[in-house]
Amino acid sequence: MTDRIEKLVIVGGGTAGWLAACVMAARRPDLSVTLVEAPDIPTIGVGEGSWPTLRETLRTIGIAEDEFLRECDASFKQGSRFDGWTTGREGDSYLHPFTPPPPGDMAALLAAWRQDASGLDFAHAMTPQAAACARDLAPRQRAMPGYAGALNYGYHLDAGKLAAMLQRHATSRLGVIHLRDRVAGVVGTQESIEALNLAESGRIEGDFFIDCSGARAILIEGHFGSGWTDLSHISFNDSALAVQVPVQPDSPIASQTIGTAHEAGWLWDIALPTRRGIGCVYSSRFLDDERAEDILRDYVAANVPGAAPASLTPRKLTFATGHRTQFWRGNCLAIGQSAGFIEPLEASAIVMVELSLKALAENFPATRATLAIHAERFNALFRYRWERIVDFLKLHYVLSERAEPYWTAQRDPASIPQRLADQLVLWREQPPSHWDFPQVDEVFSAASQQYVLYGMGFPVPPAHGTQPAPEALARLAEVRERTRAMVSALPANRVYFDALNTASPPEAAQGELATS
Amino acid sequence: MTNHRILNSGEHGELRVHTHADAALGDAVMAALVVPDEFRKVQGEYPILFKRDQASGKFSALALFGFENGENLFLGKDGWDTRYRPLSLAIQPFLIGRPASGEGEGQVHIDLDHPRVAGNGEGTRVFDETGRPTPYLEQIARQLGDLDESYRRSADFFAALERYELLEPFTLQVPLSDGSQNSLVGFHIIDEGKVRALDGDALGDLHAHDHLLPIFMALASLSQFSELVARKNAGRAGG
Repeated sequence: MTDRIEKLVIVGGGTAGWLAACVMAARRPDLSVTLVEAPDIPTIGVGEGSWPTLRETLRTIGIAEDEFLRECDASFKQGSRFDGWTTGREGDSYLHPFTPPPPGDMAALLAAWRQDASGLDFAHAMTPQAAACARDLAPRQRAMPGYAGALNYGYHLDAGKLAAMLQRHATSRLGVIHLRDRVAGVVGTQESIEALNLAESGRIEGDFFIDCSGARAILIEGHFGSGWTDLSHISFNDSALAVQVPVQPDSPIASQTIGTAHEAGWLWDIALPTRRGIGCVYSSRFLDDERAEDILRDYVAANVPGAAPASLTPRKLTFATGHRTQFWRGNCLAIGQSAGFIEPLEASAIVMVELSLKALAENFPATRATLAIHAERFNALFRYRWERIVDFLKLHYVLSERAEPYWTAQRDPASIPQRLADQLVLWREQPPSHWDFPQVDEVFSAASQQYVLYGMGFPVPPAHGTQPAPEALARLAEVRERTRAMVSALPANRVYFDALNTASPPEAAQGELATS
Repeated sequence: MTNHRILNSGEHGELRVHTHADAALGDAVMAALVVPDEFRKVQGEYPILFKRDQASGKFSALALFGFENGENLFLGKDGWDTRYRPLSLAIQPFLIGRPASGEGEGQVHIDLDHPRVAGNGEGTRVFDETGRPTPYLEQIARQLGDLDESYRRSADFFAALERYELLEPFTLQVPLSDGSQNSLVGFHIIDEGKVRALDGDALGDLHAHDHLLPIFMALASLSQFSELVARKNAGRAGG
C-alpha cells in the first residue's frame, strides 16, 4: 500500500454525493473517483434553492448553463423575500437580494438613504435587483454568455433532476465509476478507513472517503462516532410538510424564494417553470401537524392560482438541527446532511456542500502525512461556518416584533448565541462590515446582514456629520438610474424560459472543461 | 421590406428591441455608413473607405468589416468584439424622420419590420410602464441626433475632398495565407501624397471648416486593414 492518496470513494448519491464526484473529478483529474450509491434510498429533495456559487461550480465541472436550466427544470433565484417576519401585518415584507449594495462606506450610504426623499425601502435603494424581483424579471438576457448576469443570481431547481444530470455527467464525461450497491460494513481503525464491504460487489479499497450518506452518516458517525453538536436550543424548527404544486403554463415565475412567517415557523415557496415547491416549517414544540397542514393548505389556496389545496398530500419531514462535532476524521470527510442540517431559511445546504468541496479540492492531502493537519484546519473552519450560519438565521428571528409564544421564545436571550448578541449591540453604533466577517468565503457577508437588519427596521447608526456625503447621495442616484435601465432591458422569467425551451439546444451545449 | 412609423408611447408602449449582436438581426454586413464626427472612434477599429454613389455622384464614407457581401469579421460568437459600433448600426431599428417639407425638428421613427423589433417579450423596452422613455430610448435619441447633425454637415466635408482632389480610386488585392485572393474594387481612399502637397492656404481653409481632423483619422484608419486581413485568415484557418 502506497502512502499517496489516489483513490477517492464517495458514499451516497444525492446532490452532495454527485456534486462531490463531479467537482473532485473535474478539479483533481489525477484522482480516481468511485461513487457508491445504495439502490432504493430516496433523496431528501429539500435543497432546491442555491446560492450564486452554483454558477461557478457548474461551469467548473463543465456543464453549459442552458443544458442545466433545461434538464433541471431550473429557474433563476435572485434572493429571498421575507413576508410577515417583522410584525406579521399587511405589507410587512423585505428582500434579501444577492447583489450587494454599492461599494464604499455603508454608514454614509445609510445616512444618505435616511435623508433621500425617494422613500424607497433599503433593498430598492441599494440595488436595481429589488425592482427586477418585484417585476418577476430574469437577471440576464439569453444573448449573454452562459453564467453571466446583469444582476447576481443563483437558481431554484429540481434536486432529483440535478442529481440525475450530475450522475450522467460524472459517469459519461468525467470518468467517475458508479457502483449501485449497499455498504454492509466498514473495515478500518479509529484513525483510518481501509475499505468498504459492499453487499453485492464485495470489498472496495480507498485512500480517502467522502461521506455523503445523508442523515445516516454511515462513515463519519457509524464508523468514527464523530459526535453531534446539537443546535436545537437556538434553532427551534424540527419539522416540515412539503408539497409540489403544478402551475399554469403562462403564470409568472417569481425571481426569489418567498419565506412567509406564520404563528410558529414559516413557509417556503420556490417557483420553478412547471411547479412550485411549497413547505411549512415549524417547531413541534409550538405547533401540531394538523395545524401545520391547515396553514400549508391556506397558503396554497391564497397564493397559487388554479391549485386544488384539498387534493394535496404533504410529505412530512422531521430533522435534527446541528452538525457533526468533527466533519473530518482520519481519511474521511462528511459533506451534505451527514455533516449537519439546519432549516432551509437561507438555502445554506448546497452552498455548504460547495464550500466543503472547494476547501477539499484546494487543500487535498497528497499523502497520509498531512491528513491530520488538513483535518484540524477543515474542522476549525467549518465549525466557524456553522456558527455563522446559525447566527445569521437566528438574526431573522431576534429582530421580529411578533407576539406569538413561538416568536417571543425565539427572542429569549438564553437562546441567542453570545457572538450574535454582541454584534447586535455593536451594530447600534456601526453597520455590519468586513470587520465582523473577516474570513475567506464567509457564507453570509456583511451585505447579507445589512439587508436583513435594515429590511427589518433595525435602527440606523447615528451619522457622524449633520449632512450625508454628496458622494453617497450620488451613489444612490446611480442605483436609481441603473434600476431604470435594468427593468427596461431584462425579460420576464416566464418569457425567458418559454424562449429557452422553444429554441433548439445548440450543438455547443456540451460545456467545456475548465482549464484551471 | 420596411414599415416606418413615428415612435410614440401610445402605440409602442410595450415595444421591445433586441440590442445584442446577431447575424440574424442585421449585423452580417461587410460595411456600414460612418460620418466624419465619429471618424476618431471608427479609426481605432475599422478601415474607413469612401464610395461614390452612381446615381447622385456624391461621396459617402464607410467602415469596412469584411471582404465580401454579408461578411462581418468583427461579429464573434459573443457579439461584436470591438468597443465601438458605428452610429448607423447602433441606432437600428430607429431612424430620423422629418415632416414632408424636409424642414423642422427630426422625429424618432421606427422600422417595425426590422428584425431587431422583438415579438416574444425579450429585448429592451423603449417606454417604461408609465410611458416614459427608458434610458435605452434616451440613448438612441442622442445617437440619432448626433448622426443626423453630422450627416447633414458631411456634404461640406466631401465637397472639400473633391475640391482639393484628395480622393483616389482604391483597389486592394488581399492575398490570404491559404493562397487565395480577395479583391476590393469601387472604393476610394484619401491620397496621402496629395494631403502632404497641400499649401498653407488650402490647409488653413480645411482647418477653418474642421475638415483636417477627419482627413487624418481616415488616413490613420487604413492601418486597420492588417487587422481585417488577420481576422480573415484566422477564420479560414479555423474552418
